[in-house]
Amino acid sequence: MSVEQAEQIVRFSRKRRIEHLSVMALFVLLCLTGFPQKFYTHRWADVLVHALGGIDWVRRIHHLAGYTLAAVTVVHFGTGLAGILSRQMPFSMMPTRQDFEDVFQQLRNYLGTSPRHPLYDRYTYKEKFEYWGLVMGNVIMVVTGTILCFPIEATKFLPGVLIPAAKMAHSNEGLMAFLVITIWHIFNVHLNPDAFPFDPAIFTGRITRERYEHEHPLELARLEGRPPPTRTEASPGHGPAAGGEERA
Amino acid sequence: MPRSLPLLLALLAVSPLRALGADEAEACLECHADASMTFDLEGGGTLPLTVDGGVFKKSVHGEQGLACTDCHPGMTPDHATGSLPVKTRHELARKASEVCRTCHDTQVAEGIHHAPIGRGEQGVPACSECHGAHDILRPKEFRTHIPERCGSCHVQEAATYAKSVHGSAVDTNDDVPVCTDCHRVHKDADLSPGALSLRTPIICGRCHTDSKRMRKYGISTAVVSTYLADFHGMVSTLQRGTERGNGVKLAAGCTDCHGVHDIQKTDDPRSRVIAANLQTTCQKCHEGAPAMFPQAWLSHWQPSPKKAPAVWAVRQFYRLMIPFMVGGLILQIGMHLFGVARKR
Repeated sequence: MSVEQAEQIVRFSRKRRIEHLSVMALFVLLCLTGFPQKFYTHRWADVLVHALGGIDWVRRIHHLAGYTLAAVTVVHFGTGLAGILSRQMPFSMMPTRQDFEDVFQQLRNYLGTSPRHPLYDRYTYKEKFEYWGLVMGNVIMVVTGTILCFPIEATKFLPGVLIPAAKMAHSNEGLMAFLVITIWHIFNVHLNPDAFPFDPAIFTGRITRERYEHEHPLELARLEGRPPPTRTEASPGHGPAAGGEERA
Repeated sequence: MPRSLPLLLALLAVSPLRALGADEAEACLECHADASMTFDLEGGGTLPLTVDGGVFKKSVHGEQGLACTDCHPGMTPDHATGSLPVKTRHELARKASEVCRTCHDTQVAEGIHHAPIGRGEQGVPACSECHGAHDILRPKEFRTHIPERCGSCHVQEAATYAKSVHGSAVDTNDDVPVCTDCHRVHKDADLSPGALSLRTPIICGRCHTDSKRMRKYGISTAVVSTYLADFHGMVSTLQRGTERGNGVKLAAGCTDCHGVHDIQKTDDPRSRVIAANLQTTCQKCHEGAPAMFPQAWLSHWQPSPKKAPAVWAVRQFYRLMIPFMVGGLILQIGMHLFGVARKR
């Protein structure tokens, strides 16, 4: 079955694709303008700052990108909360007890102590972890970033020491976010052997039904009105390689 | 004295240079030792023509054995013509600095006062107006006289400096800086707006990171590193080479908070950085800074459980959290890859 003929399923709506694209672009911009400020003693930071028109421009770009990301976050929360409360939208990112069981099942499977592979719903525990990490990280970055942008207003009602504390948190949280994204996110979506070298799903919005069946069998069954596959039966595996074995 | 000329020429032919200098000086001093010898300048004022041979011998050029005619070329024993090609002492000094250039060219050409003299600005000193002529001292000996010399023109600055923590100790203490320790005078003068201010962490740091010197006064040597770790230090580092003006504000350097010529001990009530004055100092740049604003600056303290515990706690949290988080994720990636390899 060639890719062209494969049945495609829409995994990410247009709105989610735009959301990801804007967060991605803003994240890159914030890293490019933030890290030269954190690692300002390094030669590369100096070169980058001057290429961007000097520290004043770097800060302006950083602030503008920060405000935009804050706005994207607020819209995300607002529409998400409204959607969930009005029951128009399932709270599919909600961490469940099953996710914690999936962690151990998945690790046992990696280590070879269990042949079973967890059956995932719309989002795996890895995706949920990353989502909440990003969302919580965003909240920390927006709050500390706002304090750093408005130190005079902030110290009208907050003790002054909160400003260096906010700077410490902003700088370290930013570094942690960068490391998690470059190591964990890039591995899980692109570099892991099932997806290598690049998974375009978040940009096209679509993945093949075959892949859906392997990666999110519980959600697919629900979408197609089938009863969920039972967790006791042998796992179909994870990704196309394992899927091939199953077909055989 | 027409008879002495052939004698002098004969001496020139036979003496080694050092002996010549001394002998020549002796010949010149036959007239110039006379303490009443003066010349009435056309532009007003009198020019003393007396040279104290003893003072010259102890001066840096006397020690080197320089002869009178090394700096006064073409002077013959019959030069007392009753006229001078200059009208004022300043004109004479300017003419003399051309002679100084024969040996000290870069110091003159790159000197802080050279360009304004060239532009014809009035009252700008030439070499000998700061260094003297026959009494030129070595830089080390000259040091303590510098505030007074510069102060003869820069009156306001010198008066302010004299009352500062540095200036008030200048006569008794070799550790305090004089004008030229901060202001480069003969080379690479910081002339563009803000250049000197941006360089203050380096300038002040030369002494204030010297633990041997600072120990005597119980002053922390972490003042520069703590400054650099803060927002101002980051911005000013990245602003190197930037000029102030045209809407460009420079981040505060040492002197923007501590003052320039009026630096006081940090516990002196006159200090700009004592707690009572700090809000006003912050407000110079941060218009409308409220009373709690100055606490945002940790006063050169490194965060610790005692000083700024909130900042310290945040730092400790991330020092543990980042390796834990990243290490955990890498471990899981390792397990994932192990699983894939095992199944193949």
